[in-house]
Amino acid sequence: MSLLAVDKISKSYDGVLALNRVSLAVRQGTIKGLIGPNGAGKTTLCHLISGLERPTSGTISFGEVDITGKEPYEIAALGVGRTFQALQTWGNMTVVENILAGMHTRLPGDFFSCGLWLPWIHKGEKGALPEAKEILESLGLLGRWKWPASQLSFGQQKMLELGRALAMQPKLLLLDEPAAGLTPAEVKKLSEKVCQLREKGITILVVEHHLGMVMEIADEVAVLHNGELIAEGTPEAVKKDPRVIKAYLKGGGVDA
Amino acid sequence: MDPWGLIPQLLISGITMGAIYALVALGFVTIVKASQIINFAQGEFVMLGGVITFFFIKGAGLSYPLAALMAVIVVVIIGFLLHVLVIYPLRKASTLILIMATLGASIVLSNTSALLFGTLPKTLTSFSGEQPLEIGGVLIVPQSLWVLGATVCLLLSLHFLSHRTLLGKAMEASSTDPLGADLVGISRNLMVFFAFGVSAAMGSIAGVLVTPLFYTSYSAGTLLGLKGFIAAVLGGWGKNSGAILGGFALGIVESLSVAFIPSGYKDGVAFAVLLLILYFRPKGILGSPFIDSRRW
Amino acid sequence: MISLILPDPHLPYRREFIKKRDFLYLGALMLLPVIWPDSLFLMVLAGIYAILSLGLSLFLGYAGQISLGHAAFFGIGAYTTAILTTRYGVPPLGAFWASAVAAAAFAYLIGKPILKLKGYFLALATLGFGEIFLVIVRESRSLTGGVSGIFGVPWFSLAGFTFDTYLKQYYLVWGVLIGLVLFAKNLVRSKMGRALLAVAASEDAAASVGINVVRVKVGVFVISAAFAGFAGSLFAGVMSTASPGAFGLGLSVLIVMMVIMGGMGTLYGPIFSAVFLTWLTDVLGGYQEYSLPIFGVILILLLIFFPDGVGTRLNARLIYLISYWGRKRRRERVER
Repeated sequence: MSLLAVDKISKSYDGVLALNRVSLAVRQGTIKGLIGPNGAGKTTLCHLISGLERPTSGTISFGEVDITGKEPYEIAALGVGRTFQALQTWGNMTVVENILAGMHTRLPGDFFSCGLWLPWIHKGEKGALPEAKEILESLGLLGRWKWPASQLSFGQQKMLELGRALAMQPKLLLLDEPAAGLTPAEVKKLSEKVCQLREKGITILVVEHHLGMVMEIADEVAVLHNGELIAEGTPEAVKKDPRVIKAYLKGGGVDA
Repeated sequence: MDPWGLIPQLLISGITMGAIYALVALGFVTIVKASQIINFAQGEFVMLGGVITFFFIKGAGLSYPLAALMAVIVVVIIGFLLHVLVIYPLRKASTLILIMATLGASIVLSNTSALLFGTLPKTLTSFSGEQPLEIGGVLIVPQSLWVLGATVCLLLSLHFLSHRTLLGKAMEASSTDPLGADLVGISRNLMVFFAFGVSAAMGSIAGVLVTPLFYTSYSAGTLLGLKGFIAAVLGGWGKNSGAILGGFALGIVESLSVAFIPSGYKDGVAFAVLLLILYFRPKGILGSPFIDSRRW
Repeated sequence: MISLILPDPHLPYRREFIKKRDFLYLGALMLLPVIWPDSLFLMVLAGIYAILSLGLSLFLGYAGQISLGHAAFFGIGAYTTAILTTRYGVPPLGAFWASAVAAAAFAYLIGKPILKLKGYFLALATLGFGEIFLVIVRESRSLTGGVSGIFGVPWFSLAGFTFDTYLKQYYLVWGVLIGLVLFAKNLVRSKMGRALLAVAASEDAAASVGINVVRVKVGVFVISAAFAGFAGSLFAGVMSTASPGAFGLGLSVLIVMMVIMGGMGTLYGPIFSAVFLTWLTDVLGGYQEYSLPIFGVILILLLIFFPDGVGTRLNARLIYLISYWGRKRRRERVER
């Protein structure tokens, strides 16, 4: 049963075709890898799924719901979480506040009730803090929970982004190049963590440049090149696919 | 009175004013292209052009052309100083800080002008007399023709500057691709410096042209600057052609509005246009190289 | 203990609601009329501007959005009170609330379309709104008294008690400020406070966790306008007049400076700098024509040298100095 279905998605920017009729699906409870050379359109696809961009044509469905063209916050509210390729943690808040802010849709309150600190707001805040700390502990960040988020190391901030997405209790997780800039040890920790998330039943789409990690943890892999899907299947099959090898060796240039 | 009958006359004054807005708008766009900064003191350059010319004529007894030339030079120096003292120290600051700094500069310039030259409105004599010409049933003051003619000349010079001179090409390069230009030895900061000078020159010349038609005083710059900015946004943000189109469009719309709504609201028309354009098409009529298409 | 005197902006987890030093501030406020009665009028004005900048600090300092037109909401509040009390005999308390509602309503109407814009364009749009407000006020003579404004606004009164002296007005204004500070403090510590900061730091990330960015921006815009409306109502009640001269771009710029100088992301900072800047404009006013150019130069210098706000730099400096003895003692202890 596919939790996420992308159907013939195309995206063009002022005449440049970034994605050309790409279709893929992610089955529930699995990890799907999306790989391809630089500029293949992987991050664009992420933006389209999470709603930051609108596709030029095609549809995207999440479960039974058509999410094409919906606002990002609506898509998030349906249960789609994501991390970003370029770090987008909230440096103006503390580590734990980043997680708490991730729980936004699950906590009660609007501007007035918060300003007046009505009883249910207080209850919500009290209940949220232990859960946020738990998430931080599972990522190894609990010791620094009071730190300003900007003072964490790069790798720690990437974990923080993951924690923030998890705070939403998402059904689908979009990870946009989560391993970029991590040390080998950190990449290992990340792989373990992502597999743990699969055990918990979360469906994951990992967009990654780091082939090693993706091939190890993914159940299925799709390969994007020049905006087109050129291969899809198990990691072993994709590794051997001649078109994939050619694409990576050629480095995303024009086909000879 | 039949409002429709006024239209041809209003059109003329609209086109004249539009030329001034176009020059002010070009001043904004020149700086924006070089540095992504909006210079809120742009209107002050125009005001100072007129006021300082007046000062040189009345206070120092210079002849009209010489006074105007000196005034333009002085304002260009002020433009350079603005860059060196305010913009350059803040070159890495956030958008908000830069907005506040140029607003601060605008306050300093307009009030210093009041301090040095007094608060009374000033005017200059028209270049070739006050007698209006009659063309096709409308009256055109000769100064209007000077304004339009000079505007065309300035546009041509600007075009020549950008496409035929080394400095101009360097400025264009720096604005299109700052990193690339930097790598071939074009200093971004120097280009911004010159952009301020060019902007100041255009603004002050516009000031000299327009003062014979309308009075100028220390406070005239702020409003004029805002309208010039609105014109730049209206026509197509960040493009010279947009600035010119927007200037004339705004001038005409504003002028024609007087036929249909009480004249006291005239200044409000420009701001209403601003809100409308920002809401419906922030890129401007001709589109903008600076605004991305994400969810607009 | 060391940062007893000045507020520090970057607290780890803002769990403490009222700190020991808040009582110090409160005590100082209560004692001020006794220690320095001549300052009262200025402090009344400062308190009103403090309410204004407190509201703007939520929009600008926390949510990171630029408004160059907040003086218009201040003006809407003042005119609402002036019109309701002088023409319709509405009691001041009713007018007080009505002013905030009126300002909030306008903020909602223009906020929804405008807040899709960012950076320079938002600044320009708010500036445009501020100017349009002035034009309309100046032209609608029958409603607003045109350029001269409305006179004879009655003193603020509550259940028979009239606030007709500077002393009474001082307690009124700062009392309202304290109430609004409590509201703002609650807001900032709650999920909506975090939402504001999230929107300021990364709108994309905020949207990705389900925060409706536009709704948050409009909400905080409306609240900041309501604060401005309260301030405007008090202003009309204290000055007994409402005229367009007081509500222009200059005031909008001044309030933004109060927030920047106080420190973005703090509540007390803008209040302190409201007091400071009010005092400064009073001092400079004595220099007549020189006052505005000097003010502009000071503004530019502050922006160049204290972009994070004066409080942060001075506070750090002060803490460093005061902690010198502590560090010296510690060093001696180690050496033994």
